[in-house]
Amino acid sequence: MKKYLSILTITVAALFVGCSDSLDRFPIDQLVEETAFVTVADLQLGLNGAIGNYSPNQIIAHNSIFTDNCGLGVDNGGQELNALAQILNADSGDRGLWGSRYSAMNDFNRLFAAASTITPLAAEQEQYNNILAQSHAFRALMHYDLLLYYGVDIRDLSAAGVPYVDYVSADATPARNTTGEVLTAIQADLDAALSLFPAGTNDINFASPDFVTFLRARIALETGDNIGAIGFANSIISNYPLANATQYFDMFNEDANSVEVIWRYDSVQGFNLGLNFTWNFTGPGPFVEMSTELANLLPASDIRRSVNIDPASIEEDDIYIIGKYPINSDTQAINDFKAMRVSEAYLIRAEAYARNTQFGLAADDVFAVRSVRDTATTLPSYTNIQEALTDVLAERRLELAFEGHRYTDIKRMRSVLNAGIERDDADCGGAIPCSLAFNSEKWIFPVPTAEINANTNITQAPGY
Amino acid sequence: MKLKLTWLMTLFMAFVMQLSFAQEKTVTGTVTSATDGLPLPGVSVIVKGTSRGVQTDFDGNYSIKASTGETLVFTFVGMKKSEKKVGQSSTLNLAMAEDLAELETVVITGYAGATNSSKVTSAIAVVSAESIEQVPINSIDQLLQGQAAGVNVSTGSGQPGQSATVIIRGRNSLNGDVEPLFIIDGVPVDQDNFRSLNQNDIETMSVLKDAAATAVYGNRGAGGVILITTKTGKKGSGVKVQYRSLYGVAIQPQTRFDVMNASQFLTFQRDLLPGTQFGDSLSDSDIARIADQSNTNWEDIFFRRGKTKSHEVTITTGGETATSFTSVNYYEQEGITIGSDLKRFSFRNNFNVNSADNKFNFSTNLTMNYSVSSFVVDAARGGNTGGQLDNPFIVPYIGLPYLSPYNADGSINIYGTGPVSGGGSGAFNLDGSINADGANGFQNTPFIALNTAAVNTDSETEIKIVGRLAGDYNFAKNLTVGTSFGIDYTNVESLFINTPTSIRGLNTPTAGSESKGSQSESFFRDVNIITNAFVRYDNNITEKLNLNVAVFAEYNYNNRQNAGFTAFGLNPALPGSSAGFIAGDTVEGEDDNEDGILALGPEVGLPYVPGVFSSESEIALASTFATLSMDYDGKYGIGASIRRDATSRFVENREGTFWSVSGRWNIDNEAFMENADWVSTLKLRASYGVVGNQTVGSRYQGLQTVNSGSGYQNTNSYALGTLIDPAIQWETSNQANIGLSFGLWQNRLSGELDVYNNKTTDLFAGKPLSIAGTGTTTVQANVGDMTNQGVDLQISYNILRKSDSNPWDITLNANGNYNKNEVTSLPGGFTGNTLRIAEGRSAFTWFLPRWAGVNPANGEPLYLDLDGNVTNVYSPDNAVYLDKNFDPTYTGGFGADIRYKGFSLNTLFAFQADRWKNNSSLAIIEDAGLAGFANQSVTLLNAWTTPGQVTDVPALSNGGLRAIDGDRYLEDASFLRLRNISLSYNVDRKVLEQTKFFTGVRVFVQGTNLLTWTKFRGFDPEGTNSTTFFDYPVPRTFTLGFDLTF
Repeated sequence: MKKYLSILTITVAALFVGCSDSLDRFPIDQLVEETAFVTVADLQLGLNGAIGNYSPNQIIAHNSIFTDNCGLGVDNGGQELNALAQILNADSGDRGLWGSRYSAMNDFNRLFAAASTITPLAAEQEQYNNILAQSHAFRALMHYDLLLYYGVDIRDLSAAGVPYVDYVSADATPARNTTGEVLTAIQADLDAALSLFPAGTNDINFASPDFVTFLRARIALETGDNIGAIGFANSIISNYPLANATQYFDMFNEDANSVEVIWRYDSVQGFNLGLNFTWNFTGPGPFVEMSTELANLLPASDIRRSVNIDPASIEEDDIYIIGKYPINSDTQAINDFKAMRVSEAYLIRAEAYARNTQFGLAADDVFAVRSVRDTATTLPSYTNIQEALTDVLAERRLELAFEGHRYTDIKRMRSVLNAGIERDDADCGGAIPCSLAFNSEKWIFPVPTAEINANTNITQAPGY
Repeated sequence: MKLKLTWLMTLFMAFVMQLSFAQEKTVTGTVTSATDGLPLPGVSVIVKGTSRGVQTDFDGNYSIKASTGETLVFTFVGMKKSEKKVGQSSTLNLAMAEDLAELETVVITGYAGATNSSKVTSAIAVVSAESIEQVPINSIDQLLQGQAAGVNVSTGSGQPGQSATVIIRGRNSLNGDVEPLFIIDGVPVDQDNFRSLNQNDIETMSVLKDAAATAVYGNRGAGGVILITTKTGKKGSGVKVQYRSLYGVAIQPQTRFDVMNASQFLTFQRDLLPGTQFGDSLSDSDIARIADQSNTNWEDIFFRRGKTKSHEVTITTGGETATSFTSVNYYEQEGITIGSDLKRFSFRNNFNVNSADNKFNFSTNLTMNYSVSSFVVDAARGGNTGGQLDNPFIVPYIGLPYLSPYNADGSINIYGTGPVSGGGSGAFNLDGSINADGANGFQNTPFIALNTAAVNTDSETEIKIVGRLAGDYNFAKNLTVGTSFGIDYTNVESLFINTPTSIRGLNTPTAGSESKGSQSESFFRDVNIITNAFVRYDNNITEKLNLNVAVFAEYNYNNRQNAGFTAFGLNPALPGSSAGFIAGDTVEGEDDNEDGILALGPEVGLPYVPGVFSSESEIALASTFATLSMDYDGKYGIGASIRRDATSRFVENREGTFWSVSGRWNIDNEAFMENADWVSTLKLRASYGVVGNQTVGSRYQGLQTVNSGSGYQNTNSYALGTLIDPAIQWETSNQANIGLSFGLWQNRLSGELDVYNNKTTDLFAGKPLSIAGTGTTTVQANVGDMTNQGVDLQISYNILRKSDSNPWDITLNANGNYNKNEVTSLPGGFTGNTLRIAEGRSAFTWFLPRWAGVNPANGEPLYLDLDGNVTNVYSPDNAVYLDKNFDPTYTGGFGADIRYKGFSLNTLFAFQADRWKNNSSLAIIEDAGLAGFANQSVTLLNAWTTPGQVTDVPALSNGGLRAIDGDRYLEDASFLRLRNISLSYNVDRKVLEQTKFFTGVRVFVQGTNLLTWTKFRGFDPEGTNSTTFFDYPVPRTFTLGFDLTF
């Protein structure tokens, strides 16, 4: 019995004292923040993650499904009904764009913070600079996206914009900066990017000096700086040719051509944007289709018809499957997002000329794009701004279909054209409304309820 | 039995001794127990109407002076009172029958072990073996449904072995674990996996409900604790062998919706439904011809009779110092649809031994189990939503009735039929070639589901071991020291095969790849180790005062690993083997520009790159704790516990202290109650304590992590993990309980009434953050408060009691719980969208715009706006709190035990009430937008067509309204269910004695979930999801079994 007693006593005593030091458990599958970023190579991994968190999908989906470019798909099992019904409120409808942008913003800002603690070796200096340059460029792009969708008026420098965030915080509750403040900060980020890009930066899969110029052209057009828009567009147009019909087809069909691409968000196997699945099941089988109206606007002579309409479409039944991001010969629908193309620069310049009442030059630019896509076309002519913008808008609809522009194009021109979204009768009815008034509150995205609840300093967009 | 009675007797000895004496003639005799024939010591024998009385000695003998004609009254705790007239003989022997109603139960209370129920100060419900044995529900947690007050059990799927969600006394966590801690024989086990364990091994389940019982489990006890004790042998009982078997069939539950038949559906498509679809061009005779050929009710195809079989051998032994219990069980249960089943082999050995002087005790418990489960693509499986077209339970809803399930040769068609435009399912083109897109399309749904069930594999093979070794030694007077080691080991190997020739295989890895199919294999291993040591001091300080104090140290460690791979492209000739995998670096593509080279990027695909993963996590918990209990004279008792837990889960706030105090007043033992004969038991209990819940967030919730993954261009990347609050800690549950235990009229009416108030503070909830400012919407932090207030009532009424003159014994029992949950504080006021957690309301309350029917003038849907005015505009801004919550307000069960001679009829009903679920399954079959390719409810035949028509189905021209239907499909999911009914017959002992072989034979028939009453329109109102979407319903099961004891 003594034996049992000693065994028990020893184990009991051991248990009473032995365990408390075994409580420091660190994750095996993850890193801990304090020790994650030590070298420039670590920063590069951070950049890969941060750019990876930038997503163009929300914008592509919204601009197509919410507008007259799409209709209910023949295989719809309930997908995207809210967007087709143009339900856009603070609880839903923004597709998480606010959250997505500010989340990626936080990644870049953390990268800046981590970078500030690392002194690169001489051999690493270029890589280090490029990481910072990319971060500045993406931060500018994302603030522009936010300002464009959530800003109360991008043309009014004193209007409420969006919070400009260039810091890391666990509890900040920023108010909206004014449009002017945001634009100034965006330009500062772009300047910083330009100053940091290593010489010869021209990889179209990343931000580059031309990326900066292109973004500045867009910003200039949106903010009413027509002269600026023309200038920036000029320098893009002088550097990039328009793709011919074959090149254009290849560009979308296999990502096989990129002559007119300034920046593309690269999809690869294992990291695929899955753009095709914005509208189609992997089957395919469309839950959202191209609107009959848009299909009818694409003549057979236009190469954009064969790019945008999937061959599996059943045209006699008005079933138009969106084929801009097709299942390629790689069989997996891995498609880049060609986010900045020179044809857009032509149309930016056309619109800027038109707004500047230089209608002839505007018509030339529209025709430059239209004629290279469609062999059977003639030079348009405009007598007033409405005519000119209507034609630019029509051309943008075809040229930039399913590339994330339709909603913001209508938004930008609605004050001149007095028109909102008008869907064709074939594409609406029931829960799917046929029109959205040009003065609807839905042209400005509501700040998500989650932000409103957490941030007493933020103000909701008017009408929500 | 004998041990228990001896021990019970000591309690009442004083009472017995007080009786006085008299003379007359001397009657002698022996009193034995009718159950086992063993002598009963300490039985009180009094002469009726006098104060003369004695008690039996250790051998059950008594001797009393009485006159002929006088009546002797025999009483003994736990036995039926018996009266015998003294005749001429001066010998009067008696076999006393057990009184089940009066037998004072022994309650397992956690670290203190078995405690007499009169000394329990906490709120504990006990579920005994009898009510769960041989019930064909193969998950211990599910068996608790309807059994105990305050224990709400919901099952999410009818898959055999599916674990239930158990919530005790209301949801007490929003984002953390809500389920109780399950402990089997002292070993904490995985609360979500019981499919491999044999429920017949269970002796009792104790549900610990208040802090007095659970505080000793510290930061794991807030959700309650369920203690499961398995069977042991009984000392001196010799060797007993039992063979038990069970055979059964499971059938589908009642269908509470009606879909159209072929003729209805095609006519509906043609005459009512706008748009273009198959039925449009058909004439009446076409429709009649098609409907004549195939008018399929897909329910008939997809539901089958699932067989259940169980064979078990148990051996119990009981010597003088050692006892053992050993069981071996084979169990096989088929689900009610093809491809869903469970096969299990279980082994258990429990061994106890003590030294001759009883000072040293040693025990081992060991169960080793092997099970194989096959799964279907149901809503509860993996990341499924229920909307998968190979979910068998979607087909009875949307399967097109004009499609035939059969091939020309009469076999079941598992691919589908020709083009949709010709009335086929779309799987094949006109030329007979397979159409991969059509085969995976909506119209082909029934065949996709049949195909997946028939040719694909989704199975898990599990090895589960739960074992414990414990010893204690009474080394000095009043002092005991003990230690134990336990382990819960689970190893699951999963196998998932998409066969190359299956419909799903057609698109796997991609539609264009040359080779098809995929195979995933993975293992998951979870090891939970617990060590415990204690010193206990137990002393009767005075004759009336007993003190029991114990100090414990405990260490829990859990390690979880999983790893696996997915390979793409299988050689159909080598199923299930890596020999048939296509090499991962195989390149496929088209040389589009015909330059003779497959250009990397645009032209090349690598469709067969396998996926691999490997992962590990661990958690450790070190604790010290102490318990105290004091009893004064059996009348008053206090209990207290304190526990300090340190957990690896948190960093800044690692250590928490949890405690409880409780007291009881056994009013029935007071002198002033002596004359209140009708009161047998009356005990008032009260407790208050603080318990914790550490199962919040991830296992590394205290550390800000950075995840490594694949980033832009599939490069390695770092990205911030979920933002954490470094100050995170456990949730604190402050629980008060007042209870009354009562037994009236010899415990014919007995029960427990408890009221409680649980306030959870430091609730783990999302603290809303500015996304702009911080990059994330919420950080989980200890920020909310919530209360659960309620009443538990457990009551039992023995209407008829078996006696010498009455062969009937009828007991009615019922239990119920009313729980009011309220979120009292939540940053931001609410979270969630249509199902919300909102301050001032119960957690998970519905917030939706109100549907107001159909405008008779034009058939458009109507809604109510915020002010309750009718509007034709749907707007999410018109959403209101509907005062309808997902969690039930009322839960419970009731039933009857009726015994007559050898027959016994037991029933158990279970209910949940005031519970609301969104019925999205029904919304699918009332959606005109889907009627082109999915069967619809017959209610759509009442769709609005003419002005002035009053109907609740809008005009079909409005298309699909599911996105804008508000609360149209929010349904009352309350239910009352006949959970179990069994009729058994125990062959009479005298008959058995003649066989000289059997000592017990029991035959029974049983029905499980036979009847369900509910307003919910679907297969099954139960489920664990707030929104029903083609759930796997719980089946109705009929079983027949017999238990043979040798």
